[in-house]
Amino acid sequence: MSSNKLKLISLLALPAALIYGAAVSAEEMVMIPQGSFTPFFLKKDSVSSNAASKVKVAAFWIDAAPVNNREFQAFVSHHPDWHPTNIKKIFSDAHYLDHWKSAQGADGTADLDTANPDAPVVNVSWFAAAAYCEAQDKRLPSTDEWEYTLNDNDRDKENLQKQIIRWYSVPNRAPLSVKGQPANGFGVFDLAGLIWEWTADFNSYMAPPDSRNSGDKTQFCGSGSLSASNLDDYAAFMRYSYRESLKGSFTGKNLGFRCAKDAK
Amino acid sequence: MKVTLKHKLLLSLILACSYPAFADNHEHHHQQQTAVATPSTDSVFNITDNWTAANGNTFQLSAFGGKPTVIAMVYTSCQYVCPLTVQNIKRIERSLSAAQAANANFALFSLDPERDTPAKLAEFATLHNITNPSWTLAQGNAGSIRKLAVTLGVKYKKVDSGDYEHDATIFILDKDGVVKYQADAMSKNMNGASDALKALLK
Repeated sequence: MSSNKLKLISLLALPAALIYGAAVSAEEMVMIPQGSFTPFFLKKDSVSSNAASKVKVAAFWIDAAPVNNREFQAFVSHHPDWHPTNIKKIFSDAHYLDHWKSAQGADGTADLDTANPDAPVVNVSWFAAAAYCEAQDKRLPSTDEWEYTLNDNDRDKENLQKQIIRWYSVPNRAPLSVKGQPANGFGVFDLAGLIWEWTADFNSYMAPPDSRNSGDKTQFCGSGSLSASNLDDYAAFMRYSYRESLKGSFTGKNLGFRCAKDAK
Repeated sequence: MKVTLKHKLLLSLILACSYPAFADNHEHHHQQQTAVATPSTDSVFNITDNWTAANGNTFQLSAFGGKPTVIAMVYTSCQYVCPLTVQNIKRIERSLSAAQAANANFALFSLDPERDTPAKLAEFATLHNITNPSWTLAQGNAGSIRKLAVTLGVKYKKVDSGDYEHDATIFILDKDGVVKYQADAMSKNMNGASDALKALLK
């Protein structure tokens, strides 16, 4: 009886500890401890090279949720360069903050009228996202950091992948408010289900460390390559492909971001 | 290589089949770019990060204003692609008359902020016999390098060895800092780039 009780308590306590045990700062960032993960493109059919195919990630802070419309509006009002009427063409395409434009916006104003303030901000270019983070004394997370956070130390992996694939198969719609779904094991919300997110180095190659030994000279400090040997992690393949297709000035109806910070 | 090609094909197939989540705004880019005519907002000179030249001087990209500029992103420890890139930029330079060459800028931006100090860049210039004052070799920080690379569309990644996998592209900017031409830095033929630069020098 008492052992059963204990079991029940630990069952209840464990997930709670995983979620609430994470360090959360005043600005709602979560400390992600150092660790490693295997990105899908480093997965090998042979088990022998397991250790070599891990990507190490140093500890860092990451926003618990994507930046929302309210937060981004506060940024824009303090940094008029990033207002839709002022933004330089080299920093964004013409759809920048499209969802803010009210029906009667003939005067060129853009505001939150038509957007849910608690929904992640979308229609932002990489440059705008990077500028926002810089203004908060933060930075965009690296792709490795972002993927490592999503990977969540392989907790509940199958469910996560199913959830992501299900989301990918649903047509675009205006994103819902942040934090509508439970946080992952790190205490981070909405990595999947609402939006795609910019990373600092979205314009990286998916380059396995040994690609330069492939004998192809043009790959040697030239072009890296996608050499995924299996596509079991289809969801990840979709994410990396999507990033690969982006340019810094692009905006998307479902493309937003969150910020990160070094652990120092 | 085979694997690469196969996946690239697969990738374009996936993109072409337009998964709903991919059906994003950038399909319409082309039309918009031709419709709006405000060239100055197109300029890379809108980036205001500081760079350090091989001679130690600090500058911003707008310092290249007034003359067309040939730009590439390289790193000096690179054994194969980067020397070839430099040779190709020099071929472009040689295709110009002396007067024309004096009216153009040639700039190499390092992808490697740790190793490519101004001193190292000066050494690299000497090694490649770069003496013309119209050349600039520049060191930035990780953030300014990433921003320039994103602006130009240069993909790169630092690999575990400390080297960089990167695109090898030569860019030609007009005197207002707008990218007008791109050449494959591995190509044996720089005629297109030379012609583009000469057209900007007229």
